[in-house]
This record gives sequence, C-alpha cells and structure tokens, in this order.
Amino acid sequence: MTSPRLAIVQGSAQHRALQLGGLALAALVLLWGAGQEPFRVGQLTSVLIFAIAISGLNLATGYTGLLSIGHSAFFGLGAYTTGILIVTYDVEPMLTLPVATVLCFVLGFLVGLPALRIRGLYLALVTLAVGVAFPELVRRFADLTGGAAGMVIRSRQLAPPEWTGLALGQRGVWLYWVSAVTLIVVLLLVRNLTRSRTGMAMIATRDNELAAASSGVHIASVKTIVFGLSGAVTGLAGGLFAMYVGALSPDGSFTLLKSIELITGLFVGGAATLYGPVAGALAVVFIPYYSSDLASGHVSGIIFGAVLILIVFLMPEGVVGVLGRALRRVVRVVPSSPSAPSEPPASTPQKREDTP
Amino acid sequence: MDIFLERLFDGVTNGAVYAIMAMALVVVFRGTGTINFAQGEMALFTTYIAWWLTVQGQPVWVAAIIASAVGFVLGAVTERTLIRPIRKRNDMATLIVALGLFTGFNALAGLIWNSENKNMPSLFPAGQDDYATVGGARLYFDALGVWLVVILLIGAVFFLFNRTRIGLHMRAVADNPESAALTGVKTGRILMLGWGLAGIIGSFAGVLIAPLSSQQLGLTTMFPILIYASAAALFGGLDSPVGAVVGGLAIGLLEAMITGYVDFVGGTLPQTAALVIIVFILLFKPTGLFGTRQMERL
Repeated sequence: MTSPRLAIVQGSAQHRALQLGGLALAALVLLWGAGQEPFRVGQLTSVLIFAIAISGLNLATGYTGLLSIGHSAFFGLGAYTTGILIVTYDVEPMLTLPVATVLCFVLGFLVGLPALRIRGLYLALVTLAVGVAFPELVRRFADLTGGAAGMVIRSRQLAPPEWTGLALGQRGVWLYWVSAVTLIVVLLLVRNLTRSRTGMAMIATRDNELAAASSGVHIASVKTIVFGLSGAVTGLAGGLFAMYVGALSPDGSFTLLKSIELITGLFVGGAATLYGPVAGALAVVFIPYYSSDLASGHVSGIIFGAVLILIVFLMPEGVVGVLGRALRRVVRVVPSSPSAPSEPPASTPQKREDTP
Repeated sequence: MDIFLERLFDGVTNGAVYAIMAMALVVVFRGTGTINFAQGEMALFTTYIAWWLTVQGQPVWVAAIIASAVGFVLGAVTERTLIRPIRKRNDMATLIVALGLFTGFNALAGLIWNSENKNMPSLFPAGQDDYATVGGARLYFDALGVWLVVILLIGAVFFLFNRTRIGLHMRAVADNPESAALTGVKTGRILMLGWGLAGIIGSFAGVLIAPLSSQQLGLTTMFPILIYASAAALFGGLDSPVGAVVGGLAIGLLEAMITGYVDFVGGTLPQTAALVIIVFILLFKPTGLFGTRQMERL
C-alpha cells in the first residue's frame, strides 16, 4: 500500500476538525431529508430503519462470521412486540422500543446457545429454524398477534408527543427523526463495541475460531452475547418498522425473504464496516423502487442478483469498504505517538475508516 | 390405520423429494464446501423450461430430459464462471454469489414466464382415480412414481460414486483436493461435473414436485423445498449422500406425523416442529447423523 499523502495524528486539532466536519455533514444530510415531501421522508425513514436492522446483522455475520438466515425473526419479534403493546395495552409507542430490544436480546441469546456445540453452516440451520418458525408462530397465536389477518396500529396511537409541537399529520417527520437518532446511537455503540476488547474477540472468532479459543477468547460467550446484541439491534429496528408501516402481517415483512434482503444489503454495503449497513439500506430501498416500473419488479430482482455477484467479484469489501480504502490512500489517521504527553497511548492502531 | 398409512405415504412422498434435492446440495457441498442456495431456483428455472416445452406439445418425459440437460449446463457453467474464481477466497463469497443467483434466477423466470402459477403435467397418471388401495389407504400412482424415480436416481448416484472412475475422482476431490490433483485428477473438470450433476438432480426434483405442489408451478414453489432440503442435508451430515436420503425422508415423515398426531402444534406449526427436532438432534450430533467430523490444524 502506498503511503498516504496526508497523515493526521489521532486526537490532534486537525483530526477533531475533520470529525466535527463529518458530523456537520451528517446533520445537514439528515436536515435535508426531513425537508422533503412526505412520501420521500417515508422512504428515507425506511432506509434509516433498514440501516439499523442491517447493523444488527453486521454484528453477528459481518464482525463475528456467524451467518444468520433468521434475522427476519428478530425484526418480526421487535415489530410485533411494539405492535401488541401499542394496540392491546395502549402503551406509549416510544416505551415499547426498550421492551422489544430486550425481548430480542433474550431470543438472540437463546439462538446463540446451540452455538456452544454447533458450528458453521450447521449453526446457520438453527437460525433458519428460527426464521421459519416466526411466521408460523404468529399465525398459531392469533389471539395475541391477529394471526394471518394481521394487526393494524391506528395512526392516532402513533401521534408525536406534545413537546415536539408536531401535529398528528406530521408523524412521518417525527418517526424520521426518531429513526435517525436511533441509527446514530446504534452506530456509536457498534463503533465502540467493535473497537473494544470484545470486538477484537469477535473478529478473532470470525477469522480463526480455534486460534482465538487457544489465545483465551471464550468462544461460547462471544457467540451467545453477539447473537443477543445482534438480535436486539435488529429487533429495535423491527419496533420502529411497526410504527412505520402501521400494519403487521406474518407473511408481509417477516419471512426468510426479509432475511435474504438484509444479508444482501449487508454485503452490498460492506460487511464488517461501520457504514456499510447504511449504504446497503440505500441499495435495498432504492434499487427496487427505481426499477419497479420495469416489468412488475422482476427486473429489480435481476439487477439485485447481478449487483450481488458483481460486488463479490469487483469489490468484496462492499461499497463502503472500497470507498474507505480509497480514502485511506489520501488521508490516514495515525495513532498519536506514545511519548506525546497529552494522550494515553492507543492500544491498537486506529484505522481511519469511519468519518466520511 | 388407513389414515396412518395415508399420512405415511404423504410423508414418504414429500420426504423423497426433499431427499433428492438434498442429494443435489450434498454433491455440490462435497466438492465446493458450501450450500448452493441457488440450487432450488436453478431447478425452478429448468422446471419452467420443461413446462414451456409441454405447452409447445412435447411429451412430459422429453421435457424432463431436456430440462435436466439444461440443468447440467447451467450448473457446470455456473461453477466454471462464477464459483471457481472466488471459491478459494472464502465460503462467505461463494454463499453471496449463490444468493445473487437465487434472486436472479427467480426474477428471470418471472420476467420470461410471468408470475402466474402454471399447471405442470405429471410424469405419471395423476387422475382422481389413479390409485391403488393399500390397507384401506389410497396410494396415488403419481406418488408411487415419485418414489420410483427417487430410488432410481439415488441408485444411479451411488453407482456413480462407488463404481465408476469419475465417481472415484469425485470422492478423491471431495476428500483432499490437493492430493487428488497430485495424482492426476483434473479437479476443475470434476468440480464442474459435480455442479452439473447437481443441476440434473435438481431439475428432476423440480419436474417431480411441481405437479404435486398445492400451487403447482409458481415462483415460490421451490423455496420451501430448498429450505427443507438444506435442513435434510444438514441433518444427515452435509457430506453424506446416505445422510441426505435419510434426512429427507425423516423430515417428510416428521412433518406428516406431527401435522396429523400432535394436537398442540396441529396443522399450524409442522415446519417449526420438524426443524426444532432437528436442531435438538444436532446438539448431540453437531455434524449431522452421517457427517464426518472435521479435523483442524493450526
């Protein structure tokens, strides 16, 4: 790799300025999005929600190498938890999100338990079982979920809180901002988690499980906790999704095909990159939208398939992975030298792959 | 008793179809080391070709044979052009290509033949009265035909693997590609053949299942079958053809019996119940019933 033209010391004024610039840019993009016509705001909201869901998948599949074909179940469990709490128990919508997150963490943890013995594709089968089970369970417990007929959340119940000053008709904007803030929080958490000791254990588990185990990584707890966290984040997205669509049905958005959509988004955007899920979510929402005019959606499927294959051949790190590498050729953040008095020495070289 | 027999027949028929599809997955897995997620949709595509040929006035048998020839070419070409260049990189890459093919082939079939369900004629007599009575239960001839084809197909695959030179090469490549290459086996060609063979098997599965399926031939016909076949292959042990057959039949029977006899899950949770049982068994046999344990060195 060629040496970068510009090296920026981590924690220096330049670095801070760049980070602030990145934040300002993100804020501007979000503000621009909020000012669009209602339909477009809705579409962008779904991008934000999918970005959260794919970030959740990224923790398990991207960083830890645990392929999950069952994330549709977490998405669905989150959505139905929110839906049932709002419709049946008349709970304040925003208060349902923590419940959805915790429930999905528990489910994820349970799904991770077989990982103590089962590995690789056999483990993917466990996630597959969960993905297949979810729509069937929704139909089975129709008293609770509305069954095959589905469940409708009345728009009155999704009204923005009073302090926002938004009218009922503006709940799209309200949900947009809720999703945006949630996404930012999730990205921050993912960033910190993957740079922590646990994050390194996750990546070590992915790259070589045996080697990781023999260097003291507790594989079993890494896998179960990662599955839990991954499910929790995707479930959180599911809760937001329930508010976004307002009508839930077992065959609508919570089948294995949704899992495949999430996996597609992850790899198009870039697995194991922080912003890959955002790019992936844009692709998952906008490619079908712009190609749906042609031949009732079949063309979008062909484009999707072709894009996936091209991505593997041309940019295996995904869109964000390639952009990040290109950027690192020009600018690179180097860790501050250990002798510098201001900052404690960084334990790992922090690569510049996050700030846009 | 007769109800039990009918459920048994149902289970065996479905299980037989899962078994051949699982066999296709196992043949690919042994050579390439991953599950070909696109196997079902490739089979769907060739089944559409078979349907189209019958509409053009070809007999079903001819259509089935042409479809499996197309399946062979499709599989072999896919291996050569899309899988081989990236296979060495990692399993995830192969899996993503397979997902791409999954989406692509399904959409392509929809684009060419639209999304309406087609009536696929059966290879066997499939009228209301074409059945034999066994112990008071009706055994339809088309189900019997499926059993027959499956037995023949499985016999052929075992013959190929265990009694022919190509089969020996295939087993050698599956076992240890480097050593096989050193002894003069053309591993590339063998892998292509393996994918082609899986294409043939899958095509047959498609032609057999479409007339039995409740929705006939539609864009979603093969997806559930692929799911069960994957479960069957994993259950039996991904690298074991015997395991594929046992796994397929086990899933078919479990599904039929649970639907019939376990009231709590009733007709609503058959797939879940079958999969949960398999997961439990995997807890005790983590590489499936007949799978070989992988040894790893650091």
